[in-house]
Amino acid sequence: MDLKRRDFLKVLGVTAAGSLLPGCAGETKKLIPYVIPDEEIIPGVADWYASVCRECDAGCGILVRVMEGRAKKVEGNPAHPVNRGKLCAKGQASLQGLYNPDRIQEPLQREGARGEGRFRPISWEDGISRWVSTLEKYPGGAVMISRPVPGTLSRLFSTFMKEISGRLLFYDPSGEGTLQAANRRSFGVDRFPEYDIANATYLLSFGTPFLSDWLSPVHYGLAYGEMRQGRPAVRGRFVQIEPRLSMTAASADRWVPLRPGTEGLLALGIGQVILKEGRVRLAQGDRSRFEKLYGTVSLDQIAAKTEVPREEIIRLAREFSEAAAPLAIGGGTASSQTNGTNTLMAVNALNLLVGNLGESGGIRFIEPLQGFPAAAATPVSDQALLNLKDSFKNKKRSLLMLYQSNPLYTLPPSTHFGEVFDQAAFTVSFSSFMDESTAMADLILPDHFFLEAWGDFLSDGGTPAAGLGQPVVIPRNNTRPVGDLFLSAAKRIGGNIEKQLPWTDFRTMLEDQWKTFLAREVPGQPFEIAWIERLQQGGWWKPEQRLISVSRRPLPESIESAQFEGDEKQFPFYLTLFESMGLQRGEGANRPWLQELPDPATTVVWGSWVEINPRTARQYGIQEREIVRVISPYGEVEAPVIFFPGNRPDLISMPLGQGHTAYGRYAKGRGVNPVILLAPLVDRDSGTLAMGATRVRIERTGRRGKPVLVDQTGEGTRRSPEGRRRSET
Amino acid sequence: MVDYRDQNAPPGGPYQWGMVIDLDRCTGCEACVVACRAENNVRISGEEEASKGRANYWIRIERYWEGEYPNAQLKFMPVLCQHCGSAPCEPVCPVYAAYHTPDGLNAQVYNRCVGVRYCGNNCPYTVRYFNWFDPHWDEPLNEQLNPDVTVRSGGVMEKCTFCVQRIRGAQRTAQKEGRRVKDGEITPACVQSCPTEALVFGDRNDPNSRVSKLKESRRGFRLLEELGTEPAITYLKKAE
Ligand code: SF4
Ligand code: SF4
Ligand code: SF4
Repeated sequence: MDLKRRDFLKVLGVTAAGSLLPGCAGETKKLIPYVIPDEEIIPGVADWYASVCRECDAGCGILVRVMEGRAKKVEGNPAHPVNRGKLCAKGQASLQGLYNPDRIQEPLQREGARGEGRFRPISWEDGISRWVSTLEKYPGGAVMISRPVPGTLSRLFSTFMKEISGRLLFYDPSGEGTLQAANRRSFGVDRFPEYDIANATYLLSFGTPFLSDWLSPVHYGLAYGEMRQGRPAVRGRFVQIEPRLSMTAASADRWVPLRPGTEGLLALGIGQVILKEGRVRLAQGDRSRFEKLYGTVSLDQIAAKTEVPREEIIRLAREFSEAAAPLAIGGGTASSQTNGTNTLMAVNALNLLVGNLGESGGIRFIEPLQGFPAAAATPVSDQALLNLKDSFKNKKRSLLMLYQSNPLYTLPPSTHFGEVFDQAAFTVSFSSFMDESTAMADLILPDHFFLEAWGDFLSDGGTPAAGLGQPVVIPRNNTRPVGDLFLSAAKRIGGNIEKQLPWTDFRTMLEDQWKTFLAREVPGQPFEIAWIERLQQGGWWKPEQRLISVSRRPLPESIESAQFEGDEKQFPFYLTLFESMGLQRGEGANRPWLQELPDPATTVVWGSWVEINPRTARQYGIQEREIVRVISPYGEVEAPVIFFPGNRPDLISMPLGQGHTAYGRYAKGRGVNPVILLAPLVDRDSGTLAMGATRVRIERTGRRGKPVLVDQTGEGTRRSPEGRRRSET
Repeated sequence: MVDYRDQNAPPGGPYQWGMVIDLDRCTGCEACVVACRAENNVRISGEEEASKGRANYWIRIERYWEGEYPNAQLKFMPVLCQHCGSAPCEPVCPVYAAYHTPDGLNAQVYNRCVGVRYCGNNCPYTVRYFNWFDPHWDEPLNEQLNPDVTVRSGGVMEKCTFCVQRIRGAQRTAQKEGRRVKDGEITPACVQSCPTEALVFGDRNDPNSRVSKLKESRRGFRLLEELGTEPAITYLKKAE
């Protein structure tokens, strides 16, 4: 319907209103703004500031739209090589971190018993003195658990902790510790390569959630789009192998479910067929060691153990080895078992077999950024964190410091990590939010939100880049940059530590690092000019990437089997816990936009649920939305059931991220944290928590739950994506 | 009085905005969903209202389960206002709050809307969302609100505008410079964020725009096009 404004006036006969309507040239000034329909509002003038997103550890470049001193919108920075102008849901929602009503607004000191949650505001002067005097009271007694902060902050933290003989642990709950360990063994390289998905023609993924939460989701999202439709005549094919049809698996051409923990064995079977059928690209004399590995188990045994039919294994092997550019990747469910590292090495072996190292569409190690002063922040294993219990128990350590880490929420209670908090003589948190761990602190010295502060972030892997962040808005609260705090503590302690950290504030330190760095990278350019340019660009990266070659290429010696906790008879189900798009491992739970972001597979918002294969549910007589109890040898949780056709019949799955006992009004007391079900099992080689190694059983409660589904298609009226109406299956 | 229609009509005829959505790229990551909320001041409904089916998403990802284990399949499809060329929502509005702009947008004049919801009932894509209450943002979340976009009050119908504020901004710049808007110059919030570049926006009147070219793809179809709504959005089927 084409309705011209003039017609509208005629229809209503309100000629007198004519001069009030926009579209009458020259009259618009007189209008009350609210009477202008949106399509005729003149957009206001905005400023844009470049920075780096800190909502996960990928380090996407961002541009923030600021109007009248307030941040309005975050977009991807088109120049940044990691995300090339794109952004994910979490990055979009970072503004709800900045403007979160539950941010800690000033330094706080505990009142009442620890963990009671009563705090009283104190001055910064008092807060810093209390912290520094505790540092002095326990020389060599400090442990700091920080999220990985590769860049200047990492250098500051490491220097500081070294000088006070403390211990610094970078902890990443969704850590790719297994992948790191497997690559270290397979390639002798301690960094992540670029998995060149964009140029692959056949992608074989063992459980890797690369479209939701693996390494660098936006980066690999871009690559995925290119793999599918970015090349004129080639469409890359993609097969996902995992026990649960994840959001990533949904995009695959084929989903191959298998028994949890047997991914390495399946890789062995695929390799075996490839080797037998002779479609390999191996150096001369290299064949025998592959024969040794692949000769260990028969194909029939593999088919029986993995529960992947023999024909499917042969098909996968042929498709993979016949492809022009095959690529195998592993992660997620495949790596969250006690044999995770071993499994990923077996996946790496497939790449070695088809010789895709350094090839387009294969695994490529890119030359890292050189010369950024001591800035790495390699995460430690979960096991290293757990080992802290001993050093606190025998009083080797007494002071616990936390920076944007929430181990009391992310680690299962079965690990008894809480003992560290109990044993610590004093706990300081520098977090911006009252998460579960911060709520146990004795002293809280809140940091600025990242959009209010200076910072840099070194991304590694396929896109080495030094992202640079500046304050895009004036800090809202009485908070202080954590870097400033550490520098002022160094000053108060004095002596060598002050000599090592002579800067007055973090910004000066940051500029100094960049001065050294830029003098090497862009010699001849005055720093003042180079610095402004970098700030506008959002950092520094090389125009093109240089490959580095990899010499070590060992294979796994054998394929290990995964160990599970819980007797099979008593606990008949496997358990898969997955990160949701928005909430991650709980970090996103205090942002209403992310709480109201529907889970793509179930459309659930604002809560937890349990996914069960409909056939299994029927066997148990369970109705959809009924509350069930999920019980493991270590704990139990209750949540409503959603039928999930993408689960193996012997698999229960649940989303991570809810069930907070603190963390602000949007997160607290909502849903359940299924981590409490987990056994304290870790991957043997890397010490990473084996999230998939606990078996469970379910019990009916007979109660009906109220999961909130926002499914617009409705049951019974689901259309196929092609637009035809079809009755429900 | 200047003809309203001429206002945005550049030399060579008015624009016809449209979108192409490539289902072979879309992964269901929902970056578009949050981007749209942030850009367009879409209210936060909360658990209570969401449970009554009153949550607002100008763009949403529909999911379709097909088959049973082990052949289960899950497909995603972004659905937003299709800016129908022959829009069922428009003629039913008694106060002409829903109308069509000359450049092919289905527009909603909020302050004219009286909230009878006929348009919502008549939209076959169920992409119109009603504000049952005045919106609320816990302070200081409201500081994020985009001043270029009206905050809709209770009793008003709302939906995707193709980010008209961005379209108008780019059109004014182009007009001042005496040229047509260039292809790719306008990116609605969802398009800009989408990591896989599944969404493409542009002028269907320009035969050389990406949208015009992509929509001729053999994979192309329009949603429920048998209803004769003439959607401005072309979907590209997932390739085999
Ligand atoms: S999709 Fe619905 S709201 Fe949009 S123009 Fe068509 S009928 Fe109207
Ligand atoms: S075009 Fe704009 S208003 Fe429409 S769905 Fe995309 S972001 Fe939302
Ligand atoms: S952002 Fe793009 S890929 Fe993600 S759901 Fe939206 S359209 Fe699909």
